[in-house]
Amino acid sequence: MSGALFTSLLVLVLCVLILGLAHAWGRYLARPPPWSGKAEQKALDLLKQWLSSVQLAQYERTGHFEVTGCHSGKRYCIRRGRQMNIYELDQNGVQIAVWCFGPEGCLAVGDIMLAQKIALETDEHAALAVANRCLARPQVSTGRFA
Amino acid sequence: MARQIVMDTTGDTRHEFDPADPAAVAEAERRFKELTGAGFTAAVRRGEGRSELIRSFDSAAEETLFFPRLKAG
Repeated sequence: MSGALFTSLLVLVLCVLILGLAHAWGRYLARPPPWSGKAEQKALDLLKQWLSSVQLAQYERTGHFEVTGCHSGKRYCIRRGRQMNIYELDQNGVQIAVWCFGPEGCLAVGDIMLAQKIALETDEHAALAVANRCLARPQVSTGRFA
Repeated sequence: MARQIVMDTTGDTRHEFDPADPAAVAEAERRFKELTGAGFTAAVRRGEGRSELIRSFDSAAEETLFFPRLKAG
């Protein structure tokens, strides 16, 4: 009888431990990334300071902005995001390719977008030399960006 | 006051210095060399929405931005 009681208690303790660990793991996974909140806002403010008035208006209206590559003259649309967020546009504003590059480290989204803008506008070839490129899917080629 | 802005996980870290103070300028130049030597790219603003990469310290630049080396995503 006491053996069964001991086993039951042991199972109960183990269950509590497992639940506690699962809860802690869940909280760990759900924790905000180090670049969240204040850092994101700071980076967004910096990005806005470095955008042209046209780019800023475009970004505030649509969440993305266009830049012109300094070497090719091609237009790129930089969307809010950490990766796969640079769309090369054709003469009609249709997305024809997706470029993926960004600064090393865990940076806020605004910082990443600002580094991408500066790189394309001032040293396009070097930026694209390190980038990954893939063709834009036809279904996302929905026409001009506003 | 001139400003050096270094992108990092907090958003950025800012260092202000007086361009008329030789010691402060020397410190800013040392920081410039240290960061670019570590792979950071330095850019200065040249008017509204326009920027330019610089390879050497520009004591006349009002605002210099440093971002880490680019890599494929």
